[in-house]
This record gives sequence, C-alpha cells and structure tokens, in this order.
Amino acid sequence: MKPSELLARSLITVAIIGAVGTPLFLWTRTPLIHAHIAENGGWSPDVIQAEVGKPLHLRFTSDDVIHGFAVGQMDMDAVDIEPGKVSDITLTFDKPGIYTFFCTRWCGLNHWRLRGTIEVNGSSPTPKPASVPLYVTLGLDIDAPHNAPIVPGQLPSPFRGEQLAQTLSIEQIATHEYYVSNSPYQLYKDLNSTNLTDSEKWDVVSYMWQSNTTPVALANGQKLYAQNCAACHGEHGAGDGVFADDLKAAGDSSKQNMMGDNNMSMQTPANFADPTRMLAASPALLQGKILRGGMGTGMPMWGVIFTEEQIWDLIAYLYSFQFKYQ
Amino acid sequence: MQSRFFLLLLVMAGLVVAFAPLPVRLIAPQERTFRIEARQFAYSPSELNVNPGDTVTIQLVSTDVVHGLYIDGYDISAEADPGQTAILTFTANKSGSFRMRCNVTCGAMHPFMIGKINVGKNEWLYRSVGFAVLGVIGFFPLSSLHAQQKMKDKSGLTEKQ
Amino acid sequence: MSRVELTRNHLIKNLLKSRYPQLIVFIIMLAGYLFAILAGLIGTPVGSHNFSIVFVWIAWWAILILIAVPFFGRGWCAVCPIPLPGEWLQRGAVLNPPNKKPKWLNLRWPKFLRNIWLQNLSFLLLALFSSVLLTTPSVTGIVLAMMLFSAIGLSMVFERRSFCRYLCPIGGFIGLYSQTAPIELRIKNKQICVTCDGKPCYNGSSSGYGCPWDVFPGGLTKNTYCGLCMECIRTCPHDNIAINLRPFSTDLAKPTARLDEAFKSFIMLGSAMIYAGVLLGPWGMLKDAAYNVGISNWFVYAAVFLGIIFIILPSLFALCVSRFEYLNSFKKRFTILSTALIPLGLMFWVAFSLSFVFTNATYILASLSDPLGLGWNLFGTADAAWQPMLTSILAPVQTLALVGGLIWSARTAQKAANEARVSSIPVIAYCFIATLVMLWLLL
Repeated sequence: MKPSELLARSLITVAIIGAVGTPLFLWTRTPLIHAHIAENGGWSPDVIQAEVGKPLHLRFTSDDVIHGFAVGQMDMDAVDIEPGKVSDITLTFDKPGIYTFFCTRWCGLNHWRLRGTIEVNGSSPTPKPASVPLYVTLGLDIDAPHNAPIVPGQLPSPFRGEQLAQTLSIEQIATHEYYVSNSPYQLYKDLNSTNLTDSEKWDVVSYMWQSNTTPVALANGQKLYAQNCAACHGEHGAGDGVFADDLKAAGDSSKQNMMGDNNMSMQTPANFADPTRMLAASPALLQGKILRGGMGTGMPMWGVIFTEEQIWDLIAYLYSFQFKYQ
Repeated sequence: MQSRFFLLLLVMAGLVVAFAPLPVRLIAPQERTFRIEARQFAYSPSELNVNPGDTVTIQLVSTDVVHGLYIDGYDISAEADPGQTAILTFTANKSGSFRMRCNVTCGAMHPFMIGKINVGKNEWLYRSVGFAVLGVIGFFPLSSLHAQQKMKDKSGLTEKQ
Repeated sequence: MSRVELTRNHLIKNLLKSRYPQLIVFIIMLAGYLFAILAGLIGTPVGSHNFSIVFVWIAWWAILILIAVPFFGRGWCAVCPIPLPGEWLQRGAVLNPPNKKPKWLNLRWPKFLRNIWLQNLSFLLLALFSSVLLTTPSVTGIVLAMMLFSAIGLSMVFERRSFCRYLCPIGGFIGLYSQTAPIELRIKNKQICVTCDGKPCYNGSSSGYGCPWDVFPGGLTKNTYCGLCMECIRTCPHDNIAINLRPFSTDLAKPTARLDEAFKSFIMLGSAMIYAGVLLGPWGMLKDAAYNVGISNWFVYAAVFLGIIFIILPSLFALCVSRFEYLNSFKKRFTILSTALIPLGLMFWVAFSLSFVFTNATYILASLSDPLGLGWNLFGTADAAWQPMLTSILAPVQTLALVGGLIWSARTAQKAANEARVSSIPVIAYCFIATLVMLWLLL
C-alpha cells in the first residue's frame, strides 16, 4: 500500500474514533439523574445512596419538560431542571434516614407522583415513626363528610370580629389548642352563649382564626399554595384548577369503588371557597388530609414533603378563602 | 429605451406598494384582556386581534406543563406554571402580524408551538400581495420589450443559445 | 450567455484535482455525521439541545437550502459523507485506485429503477414523519444511520454511487434545483470526446475512478445528476472538463420531459406549503395530527398530504396546460411546463426555512458547547439563551424570496411555454396563486 493511502486510512480511523469513541467514553463517565414526567418513568434513578456528613453531589437533566428538585422537610431552595441542560446541587445530611426528593415544577397531571428517595447511611427501609398527627390523637375520621349546617351570609370580617371579641370573655376558647382542634363552625356554636347576631359570631370566629396566624405565615402559605395546590384546587381555591377536569374524567372512567361508594375515586378537587365544607373542617382535619393524602382521590400525601410549620401555614392560608383576612 | 422607461415605472410602482400608507381607521385605543390557555403544543385562543395603540393584557394559563409566551417583534415574554397564571401587559404600538412562541422547552414539538397576534391589519401581507401582483403584471410587458430589444440587437445572427 | 471557466485558475484547478483537500473535508464531514448519529442515539432526548437535531435540521439545513443549493447546485453532494465508507470499500482504497480492486458484486442498477421515483418515495417517507423526525434525536440518529448503512450495502451490491443517484431523499431535490445554480461542470470541447479512446471519465483509469454518478461527462448538458465529485477532472487525459460560472437557471432553458422530475416539483411545492401551515401556523390540531403518528388523525393528515401532492397540485396544473390543441402531447406539455415550478419550489423552501432558522439559530450556540446535553461547556456558550434573530427583517426577506421566485417562475414558464408552444398564462396564474397561499401562510 502506498504511504499516502496508509496515512489517509489512519487519519480516517483516528477521526472516527475521536468523533465517536471519545464522546461515548465521556458519556459513560457522566452519571446523571434523569427526570421524566411521571407517565414516562419519573426519576431515573429514583433511589440514591448517601452517607451522613458526606457531601452528596447530584447532577440532573430533564428528558422532556421543565422539572425541579428539592428534598422534603429540608430547608433548601429548589433547583430547576431544564430540558437538555444539566443542573446540580450538593447536599449534606446530618441525620441518617430515608429522605424523599420531589419535583418542584408542575409537569403534568401526575407531577406530584414524581418522587424518589435518598437513603442516608444505609438505613433500613422502615423509618423511625414520626410523631402521631393530631387528627389521630383526636380520633378524627378525616374521610367522613364534614358539613356546616349554618354558614355566614357574607364574608366574615376579622376587623369587626376583633372589636366584638374585646367585649367578650372567651379566653378559654381563644387558645391555640382550641384553634387546631376545632372547626370554625364549632366555635360559632360555642359562641351561642353570647348575645351576638349570627354574622357577628362569624366575625368573631374569623378574628379568632386570624389571630392564630401571622402575616408572614399567611404569605408563606400563599406561596406554598400557588406552587403546590393551585394547579388542581384553583388559583382562587374553588376546586377549578387546570387539572380539575382531568381528575374528574379519570374518576368517572375508573369508577374505583371501595366500600360501595364513590368516595375513594379520582374526583374534582375540594373547593375551599365552599363555606359548607370548609367551615366544618378543623385545622387538625385539614392537616390530616394534607399529611395523608386522599387514598385514591388524586389528593397527594404531603407528609414527607412539607414540614409541620409549612402545613400549618398552608392551612392558615386555606381559611383565607372563607374569611376576609387583611 | 422603452424597456428602461417601463422598468422605471415598475420601480416607482414598487416603491408605492412598499411605502404608501394604507388607509387607517382611527379607532381609540382600548384596554383589552385575553386569557390564553397553553397546552402541549398550542395556545387557545391561538390568534388574537387588537387595534394599534391598545393596551393588551394577556393572562397566560398553562394547563399541563410550564409554558412561556414570547411575542415576535415586541421581544417580550412571560412564563406560567400550571396553577400560577402569568400576566403580560404591553402597548401594541407596532402594527402588523406577530407570532407568539413558547419560550420554555415544553416537549418535543415545542419549537412549533405558535400563535399569532394581529395588531391592526397585516399590512406587510397586503404589500407583499401587491408586489406579487406587480411582479406578474409588470413581467409581461417587460419581457416582451426585452425580447424585442434582443431581436433588434441580433438582426441577422442565428446563434442558438 | 456568458460563462466564466473557474478551472482556468490554476489554484482552483489544483485544489479540485488534488485528492487531499477533498479528503480533509471528507474526514471532517464523516466525523461530524457519525457524531450526529451518536448524539441522536445517546444524547439528550430534548431535540432543541441535541447536536443531531440542531446541527442537522437547523445548521446543515440552513446552509443547504440557503447557500449550497441556490449557489452551488449539487455542492453538498460534493462533500457529503454518506457514500464514503461504502465507496472506499467498493474501491478498495481511499485515495488513488489500487492495483487490485476488491471483488464486489458491481451490478448495474436495474433499468426500470433508473429514475428518481425511488427518491420521490424516500423523500415522502421522511416528509410524512417530519414532525417526529425534526424533533426527536433518536429518530434522526436512526435515519442517518439507515442512510449510511443503505449506502454501504448498495455499494457492495451495485456499481458506483447507487444510493446517491437513485435512493437518497436529499439528492432528489438537490438534483432538481441544481438546474438553477450558477455553477456547472461541463466539457470544454465536444470534438475531443468524440475521438477519445476508452472514455476514462466514465470507465476509470489509473488516475481515478469512472463517474460514480453513472453520468457520461461528455454528454452532460444539465446539472441534475452530476454530483461534483471531481473524478472526471482527474481522469480526463485531455484536460477537457471544466467548472464554469454561469447565469442562474441556465439549465431551465432545456426543460425536462420526465414525469418523475415533474412530480418531484409537486412534492417539493406541496410539502413546503404543508410545512408552512402545519409547523409555522397557529393551528394546534394540525400539529397534533402531524406529530402523533398512528392515531386516526395522523392517517387523515397523511392522506391529505399525499392528496395535495399527487392529486390536487398536479391536476390543477394539468388544467393549466390542457386547453390547447397543439402538436405536443399532453405529457410533454405537462412535464416541460412543470419546469416553471422549480424556481418557485426552491424559493418556497428558502422562505420557509428562513423562518425557523432565524427563530432557532441560537440553539446552535448552546449545542456547540454541549452537544449531548451532558453538561459540557466546550466553547463557553452552553447557557446561550433562546432568542429569535432578525425578526424585523424576516418578513421582507421572505417576501423578496417569494416574489422573486414568482417572477423567476414566470420567466421560466414563458421560456418553457415557447418550447412547448402553449400559452404560459395559466401556469403563471398557478404560480401566482401558490405564491399568495405561501405568503398568507408565512407572513
């Protein structure tokens, strides 16, 4: 073979190896966590190992739409994961256990199912039990219907309620403990011992509710609601979010029947602007629903995602659809 | 010489088509609000009509994944997560037809997720049609004049092209 | 008609004759092509951030339809890497012919397939799936790989570049449109070819190979099937072959009388209009139908697509050439006048491509630095944001292209009509209406 031919063939071989071999090799050395919408597989991988105290460096990419990453019950800023691009984060855990990571940008109807776990220091799959939620202690059946027979004629005003409350001696029922364990309707009933009109009683109820939260908490609750709840429950709490129709359609078509009724099938999200149901719900009941989720109704379980404080803030915000908080 | 005169006429007609101001109906600018639902891979409504000078507010509602809305020509955009309506307000001071495009990668057909905003009339389309008409109409006399010219120049020659 | 012989310039001539510059270009192209396949198969599935989609359907397509085809005719074919591995195997060498040629089958391409119908078919196959092809890296990677392997396979069975000449979907329309280009490869003096012994330009010699495009250079009168591979320049012992600069659309003065080429025109015209409507229009239902291959709406879309191309456009055109009782046969009138659709189709594709190229060119910057979506940043541009470019001049440029194409077609129609002895007015009206539709779809 002529030397020029040999040279040419060598050049070709080198170019091909370079163009194909090098990227291929580098690709095998680049472990990425791929995010897909839940319908296409979710997180891949969805279980990550880590060690206490050792920084965990994670690199992500999305294979379809924009996603995000955050770890539940950890105080951290979420990291956006853009399609076709790589983002990263470094986490350090000081306690062993199983942490849940989740998607933070709505990526479809099943966005909330996009979760995975980080197993820190080879903990056993059974996590140590969390503290018993209030609704369990109180013995509440959070799936039972809750309807207030009497609802306010107009949106109650905490401003008026504050002035009225000063004329009453209701310290024993103004405590935080009372607030978390009782529904607004219950407080309304307990106010029957006073001489207030119906609407005045509701005003006092709304004031009591407002005094059990702070503007900061409400703002936090609003932010959490917008990012996590509004897509199904609606931006104004009316249960008419962008996915409401899809949930209802899924329920109609699946007719998942437990115990002979339709209580546990996918359904339209709860309407927080509906006073009948909302005013008969105590914060403990709402906390239960948020923690545990809806058992097939499409309501996600947030127990591993939100901290307790976040859930109370969110609950406080939910009542703002019923009361004219300022 | 005739063809040169005709060419000049064509060019002038072309300039008229390009730059002559079209009759404008003076409509007082209004404030308009549109609610646009974005899904993979279309906007609904996909075409908006406003008048020049209007203050336009677009409420972008994403119904499945995060979408954006970018307006050609105005170079403004908004991005909406499902559950969080985004508001885009601008004054429609440029008239014509502008495409709206999604500027957040939202899936395979994302580059073709397109809508249209018509501010006033699509003037440029009318002018283009004018050019096309001019091109076709002016073409015949020009080419026959050109042919006559060539015949005169080549009297006697029979070289095949 | 003024022609300027470019190969009279010694630098140009030696550059084209020498195998080394061509080899360097080939190596770069082949490496890039294989990398595109790899990127499609293992890179990010997000099209806008994958090298294979960005560099094939935005960068390469833009260069092809805006520069290579209008100005260099089959210039892309001159550097295309697809035939190379097969051809090197077929020839048994990369550079000059070796003493012993490997024994491949070297069959003659079947006579009944010696036309561009297969290319029409392969283009349509890609076109029907274009929404998926243009947006899904793995599909692009597989299609590129299939083309490469088909070319290799065909080179092992048939002689010369059979894939390029008879199967390549791109080659079909590049060939058609190359007739409008301002460069050509032609012999200088016919008499020399008459007395030439052995015709090494077609049969090969020790200095080079016989025309891989199965063209006899001595008889080349149009650009359509010459792939500008330069072999004949190397083999001609009489230095009788030249590359000339010439006026645009010179070849259209010799209109084709072939039905396959006529239908290629309708395919290109129709698909440009359909793409403009489906991909660049605001109608979401059309996009759903085009993208979701396999659902019933897609079949409707495919049927409408094929109906426009094979029934509506040709039959309307047939009406435009039918009303005359002249000497020529209908088929001759139909095919000769379809030549007018060549500049029109080219400009339709230019106008359409300008839109999505200007809009998405910034993806090229990001893809250059992070071709596989693995988080690399080779040139520092990985975070380049998407930003449509030059949107203010897009509409005027598209108008220029479309109206220019219309006038060009009218001129071509007139010349062809003279040849076919019919009136050119119905055909010009046809082109005018098509242009109006395209203007409305794009602007």
